[in-house]
Amino acid sequence: MTDIQADLARPLTLARVPAAARQRGTFTVQPWLYLAPALCLLMMWTYVPLVEAFQLSFYQWNMLPTAPQRYVGLTNYQRLFALPEMRAALWNTLFYILGLFPMSVIIPLFVAIWTQDLEGRARTIYRALIFVPMIVAPVVAAILWRWLLNEDQGLITLGLETVGLGRIGFLTDPKYALATLTWITGWKLIGFSTLLFSAANAGINPSYIEAARIDGASRWGIIRDIRLPLLSPTILLLSMMTILFGAQWSFAYINVLTNGGPLKSTTNIFYLLWEYGFQTMSAGWSSAAGMIAFAGFAVIAAGCMWLTKRFAVYDN
Amino acid sequence: MLRRTTLKLMATLTAASMLPLGLPLGALAEMPATIDKPVTITFYNYNLASASAGADATKELIAGFEKKFPNVKVETVAVPSNEIINRVQADIVAGKQPDVAQLTFRDLIFIASDLGGNALEDMVRPAELKDHLAGMIPKGLELGKVEGKTYGLAYTFSTPVLYYNGDLFKQAGLDPNNPPKTWADVNIAGKAIKEKTGKNGFFPGAYGPTDGTFVYQAIVMSNGGKVRDDNKLTYADKNAAEAVKMLRDMVDSGAHAKIDPASGSDTFAAGNLGMFVYTTAVLGSYKKAAQGKFDLRIAPMPSFGEKPTAPTNSGSALFVFSKDPAKQRAAYELLKYLTSKEAYTVITSKIGYLPLRLDIVDDPNYLGPWVKENPMFRANLEQLNRLTANVAFPGPNYRQVEKMMMDSVREAVFGKGDPIATLKAAQDQGQDLMP
Repeated sequence: MTDIQADLARPLTLARVPAAARQRGTFTVQPWLYLAPALCLLMMWTYVPLVEAFQLSFYQWNMLPTAPQRYVGLTNYQRLFALPEMRAALWNTLFYILGLFPMSVIIPLFVAIWTQDLEGRARTIYRALIFVPMIVAPVVAAILWRWLLNEDQGLITLGLETVGLGRIGFLTDPKYALATLTWITGWKLIGFSTLLFSAANAGINPSYIEAARIDGASRWGIIRDIRLPLLSPTILLLSMMTILFGAQWSFAYINVLTNGGPLKSTTNIFYLLWEYGFQTMSAGWSSAAGMIAFAGFAVIAAGCMWLTKRFAVYDN
Repeated sequence: MLRRTTLKLMATLTAASMLPLGLPLGALAEMPATIDKPVTITFYNYNLASASAGADATKELIAGFEKKFPNVKVETVAVPSNEIINRVQADIVAGKQPDVAQLTFRDLIFIASDLGGNALEDMVRPAELKDHLAGMIPKGLELGKVEGKTYGLAYTFSTPVLYYNGDLFKQAGLDPNNPPKTWADVNIAGKAIKEKTGKNGFFPGAYGPTDGTFVYQAIVMSNGGKVRDDNKLTYADKNAAEAVKMLRDMVDSGAHAKIDPASGSDTFAAGNLGMFVYTTAVLGSYKKAAQGKFDLRIAPMPSFGEKPTAPTNSGSALFVFSKDPAKQRAAYELLKYLTSKEAYTVITSKIGYLPLRLDIVDDPNYLGPWVKENPMFRANLEQLNRLTANVAFPGPNYRQVEKMMMDSVREAVFGKGDPIATLKAAQDQGQDLMP
């Protein structure tokens, strides 16, 4: 018993020493000790692989330890930029991001504000309904959509045919496939975004709204002048997440539903680098594609951070 | 005690590290003639990963083997065919070397040169090997060889055939007893089915993620083309490209369906596709799907006019990776069992693959009764005489080269641009990656 107490007591006595040291402005070990586990994990899982991927992007290697890594300089990058599929993938990535925007930010924002005004059970039921797609496993969702959209027996296709729209090859026609996958990805996200917006909306101090009502503000006026500004940090956060991760969220659906096809119309940069790395075992190409994506998204992320700082309104 | 264990460990490690580097493969420690002690071997198999007849038949075979060799335990690892080579590679990297693996021929060169597969000639005494290989189709055995040595022992095996739906043929006013013989016939029949029944006419199982390249290569080689000539890619050359252009023309005429490349097989099994060129490996599953629903028929694969077809093998060979002599013996016994007359009787009748021992086809003790009941299987057997090897790509980038080829084929068949120019552009880029 006493030993344990001694152990427990020890950090307390130690804690005094750094405090004194800090006053003298010298290096203290203790904060670094607290940070060490997190830093180690961050190094091990993020920065070391990043540096390795950077190195690998200059080599040609098929990922076998027995096979030699051959230095090829910038050839991997040159090849990637010469490939039409890389250009298509970059455009598609942009399409996914822009296409997801309405479903991950705009619609959830309205749904959240609208359901806030609903009373009691109706609110819970609506929110539950909207949240359900979120908890369905991506692969299961993908398979359900494949059945629904099947050209020969799919419920949706047959429904459209009875309406007179004819059969649409949602997943087999390059004209529609990208939009279809964007829709499926977005459909899955609506619930998550709505949840975040509802939480942020519920966190707004009701006394502001009371005060505005007493001053005779209309419902739209309250939304425009109180709710939307106070929701702006969440709006910006979700916009940033959509921009940075939107194209990644579509990965499971691309993999299950189209494999990047038909005719490369649904592939994006993340699917492409996975394909290079693990389907065709070209570590160099995959790393180079990863580096291109990393550089691009780093710039975009910096821009988003700047925007957040500039436009977010916080209720202090 | 501790020191002795350490020494042993050190010795083993040194020996293991020297083996692949210092000594030629021929100097593998010789495997014992019998299995005296219990031994466990791993078997990576893709038939087991299928939800169809393949898994049941394979389980039956392994149970039979374990009964015959009570000392050997076979631990199976089921991985789908398009992922199995990646899984084997990943496990080798992780230090979990498989003992036996069922792999496809497209990876043959890579397995022999990079993955450390054992050549049977280095592992087994010549007389014993000769004994077992006697009676197997020489053309089949040839397929598993790299530089004269057998790395893969031909195992489950098939050629593309033309499956067709007799009911759709009748509805379209075609004669199901007179199936299309040439691609021109397929075009006519496909258009008739599309126009008269509204169902899809024709589709080859050549473009999907699990299809590999064998159907595509069979079509190309039937027109006298080839996908590579030594280290030079030739799939955009005249005969090869014209074969692809023929497919594109059928897409333009409406005879060739425009469906999801991954769904050709399901569409046919659902009765919504008139003609489907694919491996006989799925015959068992189609028979089940067609039972009571539509009239399933099989014909030899179509030809380009008078040119003889070049049915290319799909399917797999068995590869041994064990370095431990006792496991090698167990692995070799498993290979022998799985390619025996008894095993091929099960494989052919229950899954639909070809028997690589033709002497069992009419033998009443083996396949005789089954072939009598299933005369349509003869279409597949006839093609064996013309069996043409599926061409594997060499070099460290072989997968990338193959993927670029297949992407360009899909683009040429379903895309809008000039099919031959599409193939040519991909070939030029792919050539850069060849050794």
